[in-house]
Amino acid sequence: MTAVDLVKLIPWLPALAAVYCGLAAVDRRLSKAAGWVCVASIFAAFALTVGVFTDATPGVFDNDKHAAQHEATIQLVADEANDHADDHAGHDDHAHGEAKSRPGELVSHTVTFLPWIRVAGLQANIAYFIDPLTLIMMLVITGVGGLIATYAVGYMAHDAGYARFFMAVSLFIFAMLHLVMADNLILLYLGWEGVGLCSYLLIGHYYKHKVAVDAAKKAFIVNRIGDLGFALGIFLIYNELGSVRFDDILPAAQAIVEGRVDAPAALMFAPFLLMLGAFGKSAQLPLSVWLPDAMSGPTPVSALVHAATMVTAGVYLVARLTPVFQIAPGAMETVALIGALTALYAATIALCSNDLKGVFAYSTISQLGFMFIGVAVLSVGGVFHLVTHAFFKALLFLAAGSVMHALAGSLDIRTMSGLGKRMPVTAGLMFVGCLALAGFPFTAGFFSKDLILGDAIALGLAQQGAWWALLAGGVGLLAAFLTAFYTFRLWFLVFLGPEKFVMGRGTGDNQREPMSDLEAAMIDVAEEEAHEIEAHGGHHATEPHEMPMWPMNLPLVLLAIASVIGGFVLHKVGVKYIDKMLEHSSQFMATPYPDHAYLLGMDAHLAVAIISSIIAIAGIALAYLCFGLNRDLGRSLGAATRPIGYVFEHGYFLDAIYAKLIVLPLRLKAFLLTAFDTLVIDWIVRLVGLIPVGLGLAMHRSQRGHLQGYGIGMIAGIAIFIFILYVATVA
Amino acid sequence: MPITLDNPLAIYFAVVAGALGLWLMMPKARQTYRVAGGVIAAAGLGLLWLGTYAALDFADLGLSTTAFVYQYIFSAIGIGSAALVITATKPVHSALWFVLVVLASAGLFLTLSAEFMAFAMVIIYGGAILVTYMFVIMLAANAGGPNDPGEDEVFDIRARTPGAAIAAGFLLLAVLLTLSFDATRAPNPAAAAAPDAVIIEEILPNRTAAAVRARIDAEIADVNPTTDAFIHQADPDRLSNVEVVGLDLFMAHPLGIELAGIILLVSLIGAVVIAKTRVEDHPEPRPSGAPHPADQAATAEASA
Amino acid sequence: MIGALPPMPALAVALSEAALGHFLTTGAILFVLGLIGFVTRRNLIVMFLCTEMMFQGVVVSLIAFSVYHGNVTGQTFVIFVLTIAAAEAALALGLVVMLFRRRRTLDAEAWATLHD
Repeated sequence: MTAVDLVKLIPWLPALAAVYCGLAAVDRRLSKAAGWVCVASIFAAFALTVGVFTDATPGVFDNDKHAAQHEATIQLVADEANDHADDHAGHDDHAHGEAKSRPGELVSHTVTFLPWIRVAGLQANIAYFIDPLTLIMMLVITGVGGLIATYAVGYMAHDAGYARFFMAVSLFIFAMLHLVMADNLILLYLGWEGVGLCSYLLIGHYYKHKVAVDAAKKAFIVNRIGDLGFALGIFLIYNELGSVRFDDILPAAQAIVEGRVDAPAALMFAPFLLMLGAFGKSAQLPLSVWLPDAMSGPTPVSALVHAATMVTAGVYLVARLTPVFQIAPGAMETVALIGALTALYAATIALCSNDLKGVFAYSTISQLGFMFIGVAVLSVGGVFHLVTHAFFKALLFLAAGSVMHALAGSLDIRTMSGLGKRMPVTAGLMFVGCLALAGFPFTAGFFSKDLILGDAIALGLAQQGAWWALLAGGVGLLAAFLTAFYTFRLWFLVFLGPEKFVMGRGTGDNQREPMSDLEAAMIDVAEEEAHEIEAHGGHHATEPHEMPMWPMNLPLVLLAIASVIGGFVLHKVGVKYIDKMLEHSSQFMATPYPDHAYLLGMDAHLAVAIISSIIAIAGIALAYLCFGLNRDLGRSLGAATRPIGYVFEHGYFLDAIYAKLIVLPLRLKAFLLTAFDTLVIDWIVRLVGLIPVGLGLAMHRSQRGHLQGYGIGMIAGIAIFIFILYVATVA
Repeated sequence: MPITLDNPLAIYFAVVAGALGLWLMMPKARQTYRVAGGVIAAAGLGLLWLGTYAALDFADLGLSTTAFVYQYIFSAIGIGSAALVITATKPVHSALWFVLVVLASAGLFLTLSAEFMAFAMVIIYGGAILVTYMFVIMLAANAGGPNDPGEDEVFDIRARTPGAAIAAGFLLLAVLLTLSFDATRAPNPAAAAAPDAVIIEEILPNRTAAAVRARIDAEIADVNPTTDAFIHQADPDRLSNVEVVGLDLFMAHPLGIELAGIILLVSLIGAVVIAKTRVEDHPEPRPSGAPHPADQAATAEASA
Repeated sequence: MIGALPPMPALAVALSEAALGHFLTTGAILFVLGLIGFVTRRNLIVMFLCTEMMFQGVVVSLIAFSVYHGNVTGQTFVIFVLTIAAAEAALALGLVVMLFRRRRTLDAEAWATLHD
């Protein structure tokens, strides 16, 4: 038993918490502790992950001689050890791990928890595949997840579904950990569907409100489309490669990419099918429509599930199966271009959105687009951005939640102004988050985004025919500018300027129409909570107020610190953790792209860094000019771009188009089938049902309980029976 | 060899006549033609006997002609009494007619030399069981009922669906008679090839007289001298009917005797339980479906 | 073996088939009349009396067959029939008395409660 074997425990701690919270949802006496049990389980999982982290990756940080070289020989060290992973070969794995590893070598451990499926050639165990990429994901999920859960203890304190909420959160962490730790595609798919289910439960947390229920259904159904592709992709991989285990798939795919083995023709479709799943889960075009609606869940859910962790599963999938994606020509290109397109598309919508959470929802979609560009150009930045984005987007959502909480469910940023004086801590924390999101130099977002764009543009310049990388990088730069602008538009509008606010619970002359169904639902929820507070002898505030330090603001402070120094620490200082780690993950088993390019007379990376810094500062400055300094300027800018702004504000009418193109024909079909069912099938069934009714009407007179009447029938029956028997015997 | 009748239709005419006569005899609201019905039914029985008479071979009857004439007499008495059992309007009369049925069938058994069964029938049926019936009739009938004593109860005066019942019953009778007098069909070759004696010897070899005898010999080998002496006192040529039945009963059916004993014990216990069940008396017959006053009282107690 | 047993003829008489038919006819008629009585009469006591009459018909047939086959088992079986008849009479009459005390009538219709 080495420390690596402790990973077996990690996902099951939240599972135990989920069981407790589930019981608490039934029995109210247990309810009070439910939140803390959930938080404790997640932090315990985090602590174990840290322990495993140091134990599982020995040798990774010893050898920094070739730190920056991605082109080193790629070998799979652990493959023969993994063949007998079932025989508790943890020690063998560990021995391999102890060896000095070269960059590009995969350092992985397979820890089997339970044998699961073993049918014919298919072998899928509940086993955990621990490589640096997995560990990074686990640290993000448990670390950021724990902080968000802590915040949620305060945020959800007065919610009627307190224990139910934390049950779903614990279950989500459980499923998400399985998603990233899975040793095979089947278990990964199980976790993938598990997080989908938890997402459904959490979006629909306020199930009394139609908007929440509809949003939950929408998220689930849109994800079904992607998941169908994912499932088909898994089938195809199993069919062509004969295994679902990463230990088998990754080397096989690598061999195909390197030309050592001929690829089965059908395998060319696998990346595109997997891509469909990744795009569905990560809300990329054209399956992006569910994420903005998903904001009708409680805000901590938006932070945890729909910003920091679950939606990044698609990025993780591409990173994990990078060699598979390289099999098909055009697959990585598609990923990069879709990512770039989505980044721009979502950024433009965020530009015109007036919904506090909506801006961040679209910004999440946009940032996920960046991540896809990153993994597509085999940049460390893809996963790096995933990590930093988890920090600052969680921070932003939670801060937005604080604002919403303070304003009793209000979401319309047009009705908010100058809240900085009332909520200085929240304003400050959100400012830090906005800086990181905008990519302000030397914040976390700056390093990761810069790395993505730098790698993309460098690749585009260095490789003949890599126009797609150049295009993606260019579009990314434009989206980065828009990001800086819309982020600070929001911040300046909400926290600067003359103080103005409208409480969501319309009191007195502050009454106003809710901006949207979502806002109306949120206001209702706040109203219910207010009643709950009053019922417990407290009195709710009628004016915005700062959130308490514990348990709500402290996690935000930690996230803010991570948002500022996270990128610097992970990428620039010391041993460059993130780069080193990813060099030993499955992502860099792939055949690397050439990487030496010059732009504007200097190293492309440096040039892009400078350009993106200028862009970020320019965006912030423009936002300050329009919305901080002189709001008339912003208004006239809005008026001048009214027609295009209208398109942006309505999300390019994507929802309406889908409603016309997909939903309407389905409804028509459903209507026709219903008509057929009620008019034809039902009537056939009814006619069949009429037969016994008629028989009963005809015969019920003979069944009145007169024993003697039955006797007569019996006599006649016996007579006839004997006669038939006689005829049959004698004849 | 199965017997054949010259005119099988006679049986069916007889059955129809019997059915019609019985129908007329049935207790109904207007008791007009009961005597006529009795005459028709008797004519039907006579027709039946006339129809079957032709097939009789008095030389090879198996029993004496006198005995066979007695058979006609006892049968007539038994069947006539049976008809009166089911058509009498007073239960007491039914019971008394039934005694006559028992006596007539006992007479039939005598013609068949089944003396033990004849007397057992008279003693057990005519004595024990019928006396019990009479007791119950006296206990129940007209005992504080709504009608005056002596007047027939309405449910005794009116038979239920006599037409359908008689039709079904006589259909069964026609089938049974067709089986008894296999008149209309050629004999089944399989049945013809296997006469009863052969069947018994081949299929039930231990049921033949010789086998029973042999078994008795073996059993008696160590039987006590009393039994031995008793058997030797008997007619050296034949055992009496009682002896034959007794030997068969105790030698071949010991398990049956045990089971019969158990059944009697169970019915004894059951009768005691039924007798001990306390049921409150009700002066008025109540419409069916209404809750029982005792039940109501119990409910009231439970709710209190 | 104490001594030579006398030869054991089956039974004194052996019926011809035609004679058997006559006894069977009587048995069948008794049986059917009992059946009809059971179905048509509404007095509980008379109904049970009619079942006894059906027993009578069966007993006549049994004994006639016994004599016809020269086999005594038919008569032995009648003893068991008598046993059952006695047990049935004891229980049935007890039940009749109980039912009578409930409804103060012997009418079987009073217990036909399975109305629609």
